[in-house]
Amino acid sequence: MDPAARPAVVIDNGSGYTKMGFAGNVEPCYIVPTVVALNESFLNPARTSSKAGWLAQHNAGVMADLDFFIGDEALERSRSSTTYNLSYPVRQGQVENWDSMERFWQQCIFNYLRCDPEDHYFLLTESPLTAPESREYTGEIMFETFNVPGLYIAVNSVLALAAGYTTSKCEMTGVVVDVGDGATHVVPVAEGYVIGSSIKSVPIAGKDVTLFVQQLMRERGENVPPEDSFDVARKVKEMYCYTSSDIVKEFNKHDKEPSKYIKQWRGIKPKTGAPYSCDIGYERFLGPEVFFNPEIYSNDFTTPLPAVIDKCIQSAPIDTRRSLYKNIVLSGGSTMFKDFHRRLQRDIKKIVDARLLASEARVGGELKSQPVEVNVVSHPIQRFAVWFGGSVLASTPEFYAACHTKEEYEEYGASICRTNPVFKGMY
Amino acid sequence: MILLQSHSRFLLDTLLNRLQNIEKAVEADYHWAEFDDVRYHIQVTMKNPHILLLSVSLPTPPQETVFLGGLPSGAIEAIKAAYGAVVQILDPPRDGFNLTLKLNLSKLPPDEEYKHALLVKIASVREVVLGAPLRGILKKLTSRTVASNTDGLVALVHRPNESFFLIPQAEKVTVIFPMRFKDSIDIVLATSFLQEFVEARRMAGLNTAPPCLWSPTPPLELKEAPAEALSANAGFVTFVIFPRHVEGKKLDRTVCSLSTFHAYVSYHVKCSEGFMHTRMRRRVESLIEALDRAKPGMENAKNASQSRSFKRLSLKEARANSN
Repeated sequence: MDPAARPAVVIDNGSGYTKMGFAGNVEPCYIVPTVVALNESFLNPARTSSKAGWLAQHNAGVMADLDFFIGDEALERSRSSTTYNLSYPVRQGQVENWDSMERFWQQCIFNYLRCDPEDHYFLLTESPLTAPESREYTGEIMFETFNVPGLYIAVNSVLALAAGYTTSKCEMTGVVVDVGDGATHVVPVAEGYVIGSSIKSVPIAGKDVTLFVQQLMRERGENVPPEDSFDVARKVKEMYCYTSSDIVKEFNKHDKEPSKYIKQWRGIKPKTGAPYSCDIGYERFLGPEVFFNPEIYSNDFTTPLPAVIDKCIQSAPIDTRRSLYKNIVLSGGSTMFKDFHRRLQRDIKKIVDARLLASEARVGGELKSQPVEVNVVSHPIQRFAVWFGGSVLASTPEFYAACHTKEEYEEYGASICRTNPVFKGMY
Repeated sequence: MILLQSHSRFLLDTLLNRLQNIEKAVEADYHWAEFDDVRYHIQVTMKNPHILLLSVSLPTPPQETVFLGGLPSGAIEAIKAAYGAVVQILDPPRDGFNLTLKLNLSKLPPDEEYKHALLVKIASVREVVLGAPLRGILKKLTSRTVASNTDGLVALVHRPNESFFLIPQAEKVTVIFPMRFKDSIDIVLATSFLQEFVEARRMAGLNTAPPCLWSPTPPLELKEAPAEALSANAGFVTFVIFPRHVEGKKLDRTVCSLSTFHAYVSYHVKCSEGFMHTRMRRRVESLIEALDRAKPGMENAKNASQSRSFKRLSLKEARANSN
């Protein structure tokens, strides 16, 4: 049977979480943390000269090669024993450790999805700033190790736009604000093509929110065991954080009615097993605030996210700007804070209106320009919008024609992965 | 992970998840595929959150294998015996599938442990259905009777258009797998993997394991088999199963290992390829390091690579704290 008749496998490797599943579904089968727990105890053993010792060591190495875990299992293992070291293969949207990445894919395919990679086409994602070399590397691993019949490496922001296009209308022009765990990119896309020169990246992402929450809780002297504090901060961020419309008002609200706003966190100390509890206060709204007022978190980067988006659109070709403002699409787990899109829309609108007023004043009020429509789109599947977009694209018949095939790879080599044909006639 | 699990992980997760949120009537509609071309489709409607429709499609059988009504022989009885009242077989099955089961979650037993065991059993539906004839033959081995109607050689499907062979006898069952791989590198790796496999059986610790043989040509037992079933590019693996391998609980494990044998070999072939690539990368890195050390003026190059364009945006201190 032809592999093209089977559903394609869609894997979106983010810095924080990996989303994987089969094309044609509305949800990924699994969302697991992108982490590998490796048993590297065989790597630096005591030197033995005897042949038997060498053989035993070699066998231990071979066995340890299969002795690793990914996802939640990995986190569990590393907590309960010291033999396993955690390795995060993706950092800030880029693959850093290809060995762990290969193992991660291996487990994704064989343990989680339980499919034969020779039977399915694959769609992987990459950030718009990925170097062509790393795309080649991905192709090499996929074709050489897993023998996939076909591979497509899609830019994640284009997929995020494609995810929106089924829910509303066919709109392939827009700005994708992709705030993941490790990287934040603002990517303008016009008619399905990424405007590469206008991509802006912000060095603040989900992980920084977590670090900031952790820092706030530590400074207030909350009773959280230090080895667990990052995890607790991450959970607090995911469960309780929200976006405020105004910090000062929000502080007042918290001070007036602490019982309503201050939440409790209960946990169990990993080492002793003793239960503990701590308060969650201002960090609930201060966490997401780092995107809007980055100076409260770092001194290096102080441009708020709305200003970066505005700058990005202003640097795009002039005829696309209005439609870009009209369709600002959120994607990535860190845009899931409550009211995040409202705040973003309000702040961008403010910047745009101020500029319009200024230019009107400059020409002396004779010319009235049309008001610019600013629209930040938010949809319920934001967390895995990229995956969903991939699932939509990979379930169309055109997808199979756009893939790099194993035959092409064997004919031309890994360099075929440098370019990815944009799906023609699909938008 | 060394052995493949017998149950579909996603199916088990879906069932457990369903059971936990049974009050929330959420619609669900998933389809997915597994190795050896087994496909699943699961559907829950808003109206009846207790009822799940599970459809399974099996690999297309080759000519020498017999399918009765789209299912291997004995599958319906096996399903009824394994699941009881929880599952109802719908006839005809959904379009494009071999089997459709109606699961009634409200009929699950109340005992937690038993319930979980039953759910795992449901999740390993492929083994129950595809392994039914195999299980039937192995079961006869425990009572040491050989069915009179068999003509010596039984072919069972395990991959699309491929089958493996059984020769049931009163005191042993011989299982023969023709191994086929698509890629030339895979063939080489699989051949040496299987030879190692046979070699490993000879170790003292594995004396009670089923005897295992590998040969590049079809073994004599297969002389009655059709010619197209004998074109195996990675040789033939023979296991001899004795009654001691199918006693009591061992039966399940034996059926599981035998019916996923090809997937198991292909998984390990991929693993070894990955392992080799890891070592190749390490080697290349060490060679590049050696080359770099030999280059004159390395210090200057190092400074130049840390240009300002990256530094300006990086939160160096923050990252350093986090790592």
